Amino acid sequence: MEKSIETIWKEGFIKNDALVAPKLNDLYNQKSIDIVEKFKRMYKINRIAIVAFAILIIPISYITKTIYLGIPMALLFITVTIIAQKFSKQLDAIDKNTSSYEYLSSFDKWVKDMITVNSKLSTFMYPYIFIAMALGFWFIDIDEDILGNMLINGITSEFPTTYLVNGFPILLIIPFLIMIGVLAFFGGKIGKWDINLVYGGILRKLEELLSDMEELRK
Amino acid sequence: MSSDFYTTQILPYAAIIIKICRAYTNTQEDFEDYYQEVCLQIWRSKDNFKEQSAWSTWIYRLSLNVCLTFLKKKKNNSQNNTSDLLPDEVLVDSSVFSDESLNQLYTAIKQLSEIDRGVILLYLEEKSYQEIADIMGTNTNNIGVRITRIKERLRKILN
Repeated sequence: MEKSIETIWKEGFIKNDALVAPKLNDLYNQKSIDIVEKFKRMYKINRIAIVAFAILIIPISYITKTIYLGIPMALLFITVTIIAQKFSKQLDAIDKNTSSYEYLSSFDKWVKDMITVNSKLSTFMYPYIFIAMALGFWFIDIDEDILGNMLINGITSEFPTTYLVNGFPILLIIPFLIMIGVLAFFGGKIGKWDINLVYGGILRKLEELLSDMEELRK
Repeated sequence: MSSDFYTTQILPYAAIIIKICRAYTNTQEDFEDYYQEVCLQIWRSKDNFKEQSAWSTWIYRLSLNVCLTFLKKKKNNSQNNTSDLLPDEVLVDSSVFSDESLNQLYTAIKQLSEIDRGVILLYLEEKSYQEIADIMGTNTNNIGVRITRIKERLRKILN
């Protein structure tokens, strides 16, 4: 007579060798390597994307007649790439022949250094992007005149009593400077938010893993 | 994870974890990964255990949840990296246990849907319909009907 599935189950597990628990080893080690490798892949893709933008932005800006925006943006992307490349070398140099905890701690330190530098850079970067965009739009050619001149003419005809500084209406200069100030003030925060947007998930996992490991070491 | 916690709170219930992880994995490597992940999640979630159910029931629930989540992640990864994977049948290691009938039963169980696998494992572990329903988050009527259907399907596969 055929055995029922219940009997197969019971009889099958009577033998002790059927239920040998695997040894818990290398769990954190593997997880540490995984998390760093995943980050490295993402970081590489990000760098490639920045290089691609740096290359493409010049012809695109030439075609769209915003070359004054394209050149400073290309320079910015190249600078960011150089800095990221330096960080990438430091990341590769992290010693893997240490314990998982030390390896992850080194990686964590690298991440924090990278975020600090990125935040400082963002303080200048976002106002710089704003200035580049303003320049780009200022020199857009419309009906044999540039957009900037049309803007000045518009403001001076609307507010004829407005004060001029080197030919630029104060009503234009003040909001421009305020915007630069705001971007410089919040640049660091925007930079952190930007990193969090791209790497947030993996950085939270890193934090979790490190806190588990720290608990283990107590 | 402290070795004390593993020895006293997990190891006595390792059989549960092994039985469940075996049903959701095809290779020894995957099985060990799932087993370790379940142990880690049990340790991480130990403070959430409210003693409303038995510790063993809680381990069943957690093991199933971890396996289902892991499987889902794996499916997503395999969709992204299809070229890295071999077809399932190539990976299947069907001679895990020394008992041939048990190996055949596991092979049959693996052909069921992920949820049905969980249901039949709990049934075979002699959990009541109520407990199975609680663990799987459904009602007892549904469990009863499902078990009858799953057993029928398993019988067909085994024959």
